[in-house]
This record gives sequence, structure tokens and C-alpha cells, in this order.
Amino acid sequence: MAKTILTVDDSPSMRQMIRLTLTDAGYQVVEAGDGAQGLAAARQQAVDMILTDLNMPVMDGVSLIRELRQLGGYAGVPIIMLTTESDADRKSAAKAAGATGWITKPFQPEQLVSVTKKVLGS
Amino acid sequence: MVSRNGGGPLEVLTVSLDGHMFAIEAVHVREILDLVPATEVPNSNPFVNSLINVRGKVVPLADLRHKFGMPQRPSTIDTRIVVIEIDLDGHQTTVGLLADKVYEVAELAAAVLEDTPKIGMTWRKEFFRCVGKRGDDFVVVLDIASIFTTTRREKSDFAFAVGGARSVA
Amino acid sequence: MSANSADPRDIFRQEAQDLLAQLEAALLDLDRRPDDGALIDTAFRALHTIKGSGAMFGFEAVAGFTHHVETAFDQVRQGKVAPSRELIGVALQAQDYMRQLIEGPERADPAAGEAILGLLRTAVDIAPSVKPSGTPPVSPAATWRIRMRLARDAMVLGTNPLLLLDELRSLGTATIVALTEDVPRLQELDPTACYVGWDVVLSTSRPRTEIEDVFIFVRDDMTLQIDQIVDEPPGRRLGEILSDRGDVAPEALKAALARQQPLGKLLLQAGAVSPDKLSAALAEQQHLRRDSAAIKPSVRVPAERLDELMDRVGELVITQSRLRQIAMTSTDVQVKGVAEEIERLALELRDTTMGIRMVPIGSLFGRFRRVVHDLSRDLGKHVELTMEGEETELDKTVIEQLNDPLVHVVRNAIDHGLEDPDERVAAGKSQSGRILLSARHAGMEVLITVSDDGRGLNRERIRARAEERGLLAADAVVGDSELLQVIFQPGFSTATQVTSLSGRGVGMDVVKRTIEGLRGTIDLGSVPNQGTKVTLRLPLTLAIIDGLLVRVGSGRYVLPLGTVEECVELSAAEDARSRGRSFLSIRGDLVPFLRLRELFAAKTPPDPFQKIVIVSSGDLKVGLVVDQVIGEHQTVIKSLSKLHADIEMFSGATILGDGAVALILDVLHLVEFGQMKEEHLKAAG
Repeated sequence: MAKTILTVDDSPSMRQMIRLTLTDAGYQVVEAGDGAQGLAAARQQAVDMILTDLNMPVMDGVSLIRELRQLGGYAGVPIIMLTTESDADRKSAAKAAGATGWITKPFQPEQLVSVTKKVLGS
Repeated sequence: MVSRNGGGPLEVLTVSLDGHMFAIEAVHVREILDLVPATEVPNSNPFVNSLINVRGKVVPLADLRHKFGMPQRPSTIDTRIVVIEIDLDGHQTTVGLLADKVYEVAELAAAVLEDTPKIGMTWRKEFFRCVGKRGDDFVVVLDIASIFTTTRREKSDFAFAVGGARSVA
Repeated sequence: MSANSADPRDIFRQEAQDLLAQLEAALLDLDRRPDDGALIDTAFRALHTIKGSGAMFGFEAVAGFTHHVETAFDQVRQGKVAPSRELIGVALQAQDYMRQLIEGPERADPAAGEAILGLLRTAVDIAPSVKPSGTPPVSPAATWRIRMRLARDAMVLGTNPLLLLDELRSLGTATIVALTEDVPRLQELDPTACYVGWDVVLSTSRPRTEIEDVFIFVRDDMTLQIDQIVDEPPGRRLGEILSDRGDVAPEALKAALARQQPLGKLLLQAGAVSPDKLSAALAEQQHLRRDSAAIKPSVRVPAERLDELMDRVGELVITQSRLRQIAMTSTDVQVKGVAEEIERLALELRDTTMGIRMVPIGSLFGRFRRVVHDLSRDLGKHVELTMEGEETELDKTVIEQLNDPLVHVVRNAIDHGLEDPDERVAAGKSQSGRILLSARHAGMEVLITVSDDGRGLNRERIRARAEERGLLAADAVVGDSELLQVIFQPGFSTATQVTSLSGRGVGMDVVKRTIEGLRGTIDLGSVPNQGTKVTLRLPLTLAIIDGLLVRVGSGRYVLPLGTVEECVELSAAEDARSRGRSFLSIRGDLVPFLRLRELFAAKTPPDPFQKIVIVSSGDLKVGLVVDQVIGEHQTVIKSLSKLHADIEMFSGATILGDGAVALILDVLHLVEFGQMKEEHLKAAG
């Protein structure tokens, strides 16, 4: 069965790009527009990987990661952050909250696929 | 030349050179020394052609007799060096002046330099500030600054054995 | 949402419009409620998203511009700056400009954008801070060696090594060397693969954990080694560093040390170390040197105290030389012994005191990075600045006085010497002009050069201007170097446009006077279209030198001992033979000579056996014929007054042990004079 990826980002264009890229690569994608929506989505269905932006309204990325790790069944699920270069200082906070890795924007769609493949297997 | 501003009395040190009386404004004078051995500076302007040691300081020694075209005479026991301080191009410079005899510090009632005494052919008006009276005698007050500035503008003569100095801009 | 086939760019544009609307609303509300943190967050987030997504979808202009706005706004978000009315006004202008960039980028005017950013920066600078920002805990500085080798596919997986390096740089002072040994040849190269490793030497007061944190997300896929470097005793030798790092086998090290050449070169030749590892180790050495120079315990002393100390030492040296004279004529063994001891102590004291005043010129050169950066920006020229010989030491007061002249010379080089980038490319040169600042010791002097690879000095223009200014007669025939010397005359300038920066060229005569005030010389050399080189020569010390005392006629003179090569006796036969000739034969070498008796118009009868003191300046030599070589003399240099300063053959005076004054000979001028005399005689046939 195809693996499911949850993408959490307040930018619709980003979500669209991610969805298109990953579905083309054979994954299933679920979208959420902010941290709270992302948490709700993760509760509703089991996902295999979470891609999250850092700056979002309502609940930001670091808080989301922390919450996710406390959620039953998500202790070991890979969580990848999408960061810009101005987020350098937040990386350790994210890591402390439980993030697995990071991708810096801007990135090429192919890079997203490589990372996902590496983390999940194809 | 220029009349003294003010018109009040002027404090001077009176000296004699080749029998003539001159005055140096006291404000320039630092001290008076006995004659000391001087080191000649080759290829320098004959007016200031040697150096002396004043308590560890190297001071140029000038001979006013040369400026006024007076004959060179050997020194006597009266010969003194008057150490003065003047402004050269913005730098305070210490210079020694040879004098045949040093008299005293006196106050001169100034007069205007109209009647220049006939003293010597090569004397130039620029060298004098004014003429004062000391008793019955006229004493010529030297314009030290002017004497030394003119010296600077003259080029030193280099008497090279080779001949043919480089072109100087 | 839209169909799968919709163009992401359109989606972004739509999103951006929404975000811009959000931003505008937040800014307007913020104007009325400047303390509302939520509004600040909204505004910041809108900027952040536009920047991030803009970059993703190819809207580079927007992303670039918004980045700066975001940075400025970050100051507000962190509480360092209050959202003043002015700031909000500019932010709104920025928002309008961003809109333009998205809707009709062709119509957007980059200059207007720059202007807005400028206003933004000003607004952020002048609004005072609202909350004090926390300062990180500072622990004593330590130096770390960080060796990082990323996995081959690191970049494919989204890691940007440059960002990692930037993060390391932000922690302190870093020296970074890239190791390119593993980069394959072009045919085999995979452009997405990471072949390069890096060695970083980092001095920082942050804890080790912060260094490790930089690598948080890549730690598992890379080789990372973080070692603390303890530089004790300070200033480690290259060999020690290389062997410490395990890059060189000890036997290879020993074998290489047995020879005389620089260690690194030898090791390279022997193949014992790779060029990469060598340069990395050298970088570490340099870094540590700078560290130790900075960290060594030091004491601040008022400059006047140092000067006073120098004066006392100078007087001590003079008095000691008088004691020496007395001791020489004395028969009392005890007195001779004590006099010798005092001489040794006085010399050591002299050396130590002079050493205190010696400062590496790097402290002066370092300022020039900023100067050049600002100048190149202001003048619209690209400049690459290289510096050499920063460890060359000079007397402290000399360095201080060099600052203004050097700044002026560098300004001239950038302003008048270097061409505009387009001109340079048209001339087949690199777009960036190169300026090299270099310093080195040469005998008793320090040579400082400023070279550029610009258009060189235009001889015709200089000539024209010199004639125009009355500095040169129209028909005067002058050699090239004399023509260039005209530049140093007051009131000279060939700048067709007088820029506000380098002024009217009144600087060069002041530069020359300052340098000469330091008893130095300044020279110009230039090749049209290739560049110009300004050379400053300065005496190594201002105050006391080792001298050789000689007698010519009845006068005594001092030669700097560092310039003296040897003393030879002039036999009567050789003396007679050399009359009318311009050089002497010294052990087969033909050396131009000067009879100082003639030069100084000595009146006393000559000594029967004349001596020749052979002195050199750079590569040129001259033999000086004197009556007597008296001996060594500790020479305390006294400057000549303006009445004698223009006599080039004397560079100063000194007071001898018996109280008499002796002149110090300027060897450079004597050497040049000797050369000139030789040419003159040759020309005369």
C-alpha cells in the first residue's frame, strides 16, 4: 500500500507543489493549513511521514512537532521540517522537540522526492 | 620696513657683531652659552653650516656675520652663542647664533625705520624690524623670522667634485 | 482547490495577493495598536511565506526584496525596535512595491526598491529598542578544529554545506579551508554530488554543544570530528600541527626537517602530504598565531610613558658610550669589567624597549578591508584586496602615522588607478580590480607597497598638468622617474573628475611629507595599462641603531651598521690607480666609490692609509673612502632641523661619547649618488 505523507504549510502554493511532486512519485498526500489542522489530521488517520513548515498561524511548526511526539503511535514517525535560512536558530529547538531532519527552502522537487525515498523507502 | 605695532617699549638682548650693535627680541632668546666646539655640516648653507650640542640636543649654529657680508674673524673669549627659538614652517626650532659680544637685556623705545644707517652693502632691509635707541646710540633690531625664512628659500649650493647637479623641480 | 494541471506560479500569485492583503491590513491595524503582538506576528509571517514560496516558484525578485523587509521586521518581532509610524509607513511602501513585483515585474523600478529598503533600514536603526535582548553566556574563548566530510549524496538530500559553514562562522572567528582532493575530473564529475570536505579552525566563546548543534540534522550521514586545540606553547610549528592531525608520518617529518627549505614545500615535494592537507594545516597555524597574538596577556600603557622610557634609554646609551671611552683608557681592571657589564645591560635594555614599540603592520592593514569595501561600493568598482606580510613589525608611532598616507594612496588606487568593471573587461582584464598591500623587511628598512593592476599613470596627462601648473617648463627634458615625482608637488592633480573622496590631489604632497617626516621615502612606478605601484621605505627604528663611526678629515660620521658590508684598506698603489676612475676593484668586483674627503671638502691632510667602507642599499653597493674607521657606536638618532633636513646625504645626527656631534650618513642617497656619478663619468667618456 502506498505510504501517506502529511504536509502542513500555510502556503497553498507550497502545499500544491508538494502534493503534486509526491503523488507523482507514488505517495499519498494529506494537506493541513496550520499546526492545529495538522494535529487533527494526524489524529484522524495514521500517516507515515510528516512534512511541516515552521512559521504558521494558530500553532507553529515546533509546537506541532512536540505535540505529535506525544501522540500515541507517532513517537517514531519521521518528521521533516521545511526551513528558510533565517530559521537557523530554531533548528535546535526543533530537534529538541523531536524533528528528524530538515530541508531548506528553496529546494528542487527532485530533492523532496530523494529525501522522502530515503526516509520512507519507495 | 614695518613699523612696530603698538609703539611701546621693546625688550631686547643687545649684541655686537663686527663692531656693530644689534638687538634680538628677548621673546626669542632661550639662553646664552659660552663657545663650544661645533661640527661642520658639509655642503650646507654657509650661514648655518654647523651643529652644536646643547645639553644633549643637536642644535644648528648660525653665523650672522655671513648674512651681513662681514669678514670672518677668529673667536675671542667674549664670543658667545645666543640660543633662540623660532618658528620655521610651523615647527618650533632651536637655533644658536654666534655673537662677538653679548651686552644686556634692555628696553628700547622704538622709532620707525626711516633712516637706515649706512652699515654695509649686502644688508637687506628685510632683515630688520626697526631701529631703536639705547642712550645715544641707534640699535638695529633684527627680524629673526625673516632672516631664517629667506635662508630656507635659497637653495643650498652643492659643490660636488663631479659637477652637474640633477635637475631640481 | 484548482485542478492538478494549474500552473504553480499562478497559484503563488494568488496566494501572494492574499498575503499582501493580510500584510497591509496588519500594518494598518498596527499603526493604531502598535503593541499588538499578534499583528506583528501576522505581518512577519506573511513576509516570511512570500519570501519562502516566492523563492520556490521562481519569483526571485520578490523573494530577494521581501527577504530584506523580513529582516527589518524581524527586529520588530524580537522586540528590538518599536513599530513606529515611520516604520509602518515604509513597510506599506514596501508592500506596494512587492505587489508591483508580483503583478508586473517589468514595470518595477529597482532603484525605487533600493530606496525603500534604505528607508527601512534607517527606520529600524533609529527607533530605540523596546525590550533588552538577551545576551548569550560568554565563556572564555577556545579554539576548535572541526573536520567535516559530508556524505556524497548530502546535497541531493537537501543539505546546503554553505549554510553549515555560515553558521559556524557566526559563532566566532573561523578559518575555513576546502579540501578538494576527492573532486574527480570533469568527465567523471556528478554535479549533484558532494566531493568537497572542509576543515574549520574556529575560535569561539560559545560552548561545544553549540558547534555540534550546527550539524544536528546531518550528523548521522557525515564524518564529523571536533577537537579542541590547545596551543601551548603558543605559535605551534607546522610540523607539529601536521603530525598532531595525523596527516604526516613522523619519519617523513624528520626527513623533511633535515633540509633547509620551508617545511611545507619539502613535504609537498616528497609527496608526504597533499596540497589540501598542507593548506588546511597552514590555515590552522595562521589562525592560532592570530589567536595567540590576541589572547596573550598584555598591559595597556600610555604612549607618553613609552616615549619617556625611550628617551631615558637613549640617554643611558649615550652616557654608557662615554663610560666605555673612559674605561678603554683606564688601567683599572674592575672598572673595565663593570663598564662591559653595563654595556651589555644597556644594549639588552635598548633591544627590549624598542621591541615594546614594535607592532605588526597587520593591525593597520586589517583596517583596510573595511576601507576598501566602502570605497569600492561608493565608487562602483569591484575590488579584490590581498595583503601580504601582515606580521612585519614596525615601530608603533610609525604605524600610527602611516594610516592617513596609506588610506590616501589606496583611495587613489581605487579611484584613479582602477578602471570601471566594463572598461576592465573590455581591456581583457578581470572584472574585479586587484589591490595588493604588502610589507616586508629589507635590511634596515621596512618596504611597504600598494600595487594595483589598473590603468597605470598617464604620462601625457601628468606632463600636461605639470606644465599647466607651472611646475615644469614646456621644453624641459625630464626623465620618467622625475616626471612621476612631480605628482608629489603641492597643488597637483590629474583627476578629470574631482571625486569627493580623493579630493583635489592635495594629498600626495602631504603623503610625501608625512613619510619623510618618518625618515622614509616614497616612490612611484607604473606601466601603462598594467598598473601602478607605490613603494614606501621606512627605517626600522626611529631611535637607536648600531652604527659604525668613521672619520673624514676633522669630522666624524656614523654609518648604520646594518648597511655596512665590509671595511677594506686602500693601498697607496690602488689609491693612485683609482684617480680619475669611477670604480675600485675589490676582490675582483668592480664597486663604484665615493671619496668622502672630496664630497665633504675636508681640509686636513689625508691619513696615509685610506679605508674603504663598502655599504649597500638593496642590491646596490658603493665604497666610501674615509680617513679612519673608528669603531662601533651605539647611535641615538637625533633629527636634523629644517635648516639641514634637505641635505640628502645626511639622515640625522648623534651625540658622541665625548659630547661632540656626528652626522649620520644616508646610505641610500650616497649609493644613488655614486651610481649617478659613475654614469656621469661614463657619459663624459
